[in-house]
Amino acid sequence: MKESAKSERFLEHLGPLQRKLEGYCRRMVHSPDTVPDVLQSALANAYRDFDLYAEGTNFPAWIFTYVHREIQNANRRHRKNTGVGEPDDVAAPDAWHPPHELPVHQLLLDAPEVVLDRCDSDLAGGVRGLRPLERGVLLLHAVGEFKYREIAEILEVPIGTVMSALARARHHVREHLARIASLERDHSTESSDPDRPETRGGS
Amino acid sequence: MTCVEARQHWHLYHDSEGDARLHLEIEEHLAGCPACAEWFHQQSRLEDLVTEKLAEPPADPALWGKVLAGAGLKRPKTTRRWFWLAGVTAAAAAVLLVVGGIAYIRTSAKGSDLAQVSAQWHERLQTGEEPVQFASDSDHDVEAYLKDRVPFPVRCPPRKDAGFSVRGAGVSEIEGRPAAYLSGTVGDVPVSILVLPKDSLSAFPTQRDALRQHGIMHAPAGQYAMVLREFDRNAIVVVGRTDPAALERVVNAYGSYPDHN
Repeated sequence: MKESAKSERFLEHLGPLQRKLEGYCRRMVHSPDTVPDVLQSALANAYRDFDLYAEGTNFPAWIFTYVHREIQNANRRHRKNTGVGEPDDVAAPDAWHPPHELPVHQLLLDAPEVVLDRCDSDLAGGVRGLRPLERGVLLLHAVGEFKYREIAEILEVPIGTVMSALARARHHVREHLARIASLERDHSTESSDPDRPETRGGS
Repeated sequence: MTCVEARQHWHLYHDSEGDARLHLEIEEHLAGCPACAEWFHQQSRLEDLVTEKLAEPPADPALWGKVLAGAGLKRPKTTRRWFWLAGVTAAAAAVLLVVGGIAYIRTSAKGSDLAQVSAQWHERLQTGEEPVQFASDSDHDVEAYLKDRVPFPVRCPPRKDAGFSVRGAGVSEIEGRPAAYLSGTVGDVPVSILVLPKDSLSAFPTQRDALRQHGIMHAPAGQYAMVLREFDRNAIVVVGRTDPAALERVVNAYGSYPDHN
């Protein structure tokens, strides 16, 4: 393939995916400063191998594989350089069912818009606190819009692992949001209680 | 199916995973169990909102220029030439517009308007001017009907929880290219889905370019709204006189059933 034609075809495939790739990368990397470098390295590697890509097959999954690998490398480097890392992936049974819903979940389920409108950074924190596999699966599903089978291919894990990791990730994110919602509710109740002594402000 | 079994499979149902039989069993259960229907609705609403939030991190408009340049990927010369030609064409069109040939120039500069073409096609279906070739409210029957009749892949209609209820399907041509269509409703509003091979978008350069840039596009067409996106090797158009967000839900759900082959 001529270089100009190759470049044109590559960019044609890449264009509709840029937003998703950026979103996935931003949510996955430990250090936000590394996003441009991660994407740049991943694209350079993918473009180098583009001759191996079979036209008509799943380009989104193909390119996400490169980006995911580069994110893993960047996170490893970050961990090595700073000593600050993330929880290791642990072997977990594929058949995982969430425990019974906590009463506090109901608050989240009753008014999710209210909670989510106020806590974008809390959501990001909840996702960041997930184990790497759970975070990858959740984001590939939510941001990349991939099916379970595609996620399994990108992450090179069995599909059962994808299903259980996604269920765990969703449960943990909900727990996180429910805690935030509960704290906000308590705070708001305390603030509106006229009998409660003032704890802030002047002495 | 019991309530416990249905709820255990919520993830599969919500994610349009698992086989079609499981989905049908769950739908049957939900139709007869208001408590589970409400539970599923609450779960899905929360998950959709979380997904929406996760999918929209703050974007850096300058990022991709740097990334592509750094990766040694530049816009090819042909594209630059295209921009140059487009600029010249636009300038010429502007001059001619002043002269007065407005309608003619709009067509020649932009190619056909997929929104208008789709809206006209949808209207012909609704008025009966174009009879629906295969009337059925069965997703599977519609899919089977289309698969035998078009030379490109066609997937099941979107799940009913995306709001689209199929009423029929058929095969036709749009701007001289083969197209499959699905006729149905969202709520009580008639909505059509057109499925075209992706390369048919070359007849609609404006929409093709917008789609490449944004991944999905909305366009009004008179009293109708249209949403367009690519899926697999197809371009999917959803058109109707309803809330564009409802049409977007349908277009996003297209192909979300697993392939039965």
